[in-house]
Amino acid sequence: MEPQAQVEPIMPWWAGGLGIGLILLLAVALVQPIGVSTQYVVLDGVLLHAVLPEVADGSPYLKETSKGWTLATYEFVFVAGIPLGAFLAAMATNRFSVGEVPSLWAQRFGPTPMRRLIWSFLGGFLLLFGARFGGGCTSGHMISGVSQLAVSSFLFSIALFAGAILTARCLYPEQRTR
Amino acid sequence: MTLLLGLFLGAAFGAVLQLSGASSHTKIIGTLRLKDFTLMKLIMTAIGVGLIGVHALDALGVAHMKVKDLYLPGIVVAGLIFGVGFAITGYCPGTALAAAAEGKPDAWMTIVGGLFGALTFAFLWPSLESSLASLGGFGPVTIHGSFGINGLLVALPLGGLCLWGAAKLPGPHGAV
Repeated sequence: MEPQAQVEPIMPWWAGGLGIGLILLLAVALVQPIGVSTQYVVLDGVLLHAVLPEVADGSPYLKETSKGWTLATYEFVFVAGIPLGAFLAAMATNRFSVGEVPSLWAQRFGPTPMRRLIWSFLGGFLLLFGARFGGGCTSGHMISGVSQLAVSSFLFSIALFAGAILTARCLYPEQRTR
Repeated sequence: MTLLLGLFLGAAFGAVLQLSGASSHTKIIGTLRLKDFTLMKLIMTAIGVGLIGVHALDALGVAHMKVKDLYLPGIVVAGLIFGVGFAITGYCPGTALAAAAEGKPDAWMTIVGGLFGALTFAFLWPSLESSLASLGGFGPVTIHGSFGINGLLVALPLGGLCLWGAAKLPGPHGAV
């Protein structure tokens, strides 16, 4: 398969930022601040409860988070809306990119899909482990939390960027020779 | 009704993430390598609008606030772990969903890994709660709350600073 095409954004940064800001304000005015990562736990809980109810019941954290083992909540539907909206936006603007390997990754680590997929799994694992440990992700902490002037969200965001920038520097070192 | 509202807000969020390039691995890695400030400008704009707007709504008494607990050093460790995952995948939990909907298999794997990471955390929580997360618990602290002042007094200047910074950072191809 071809590497993922580099699709330039068609919405300028200020419109994107304004859009996300206004969605946050609507959410705060009508329901509650936005958040995504908790719903990974909710989906885990509901799936596990469907297959192995005793195991799911054995985790107080799962039981507390997936209240009533249902996906029919405002919070879950909000998160389910994200891929729906992204899908419609990609359809409307013809910007699908089905390549397995992002072009930058392919340049650095080769175009082998398996390597990229394994690392994506491991990275995703760390991503949600960290998000649940910290109690939020980019939306819950950086957008909603910082906007509320929450001290925990400032610290989480600073640590997030520190970890991410250092890791990116190791994964994609500067090319000194041209 | 609330469900429909959730679907609408979520879909709007997903569409904006997709259209503005936030779901693009290239854009995220460019941001983290400090080469491409487009998404930094975007997030600073969102935070600037959020800071001023949320505290204006709060002053009007119509905001539904939900401040997360502070616990040290757990929150810093958590942020660092998240950051490493963010740089490896090039997605965050929300943008991975948007990227998966665009048909990117690596975003699908990020979501699967994320489901396992969240599940592992859920089962480790009882032992983490009694060790790392119980240290230095301060509850839901806010900056303005700890000074005992109105949120707008902090949010207005800080929000203004974010918006100013967003405008000043170099844009795509060096343009603003």
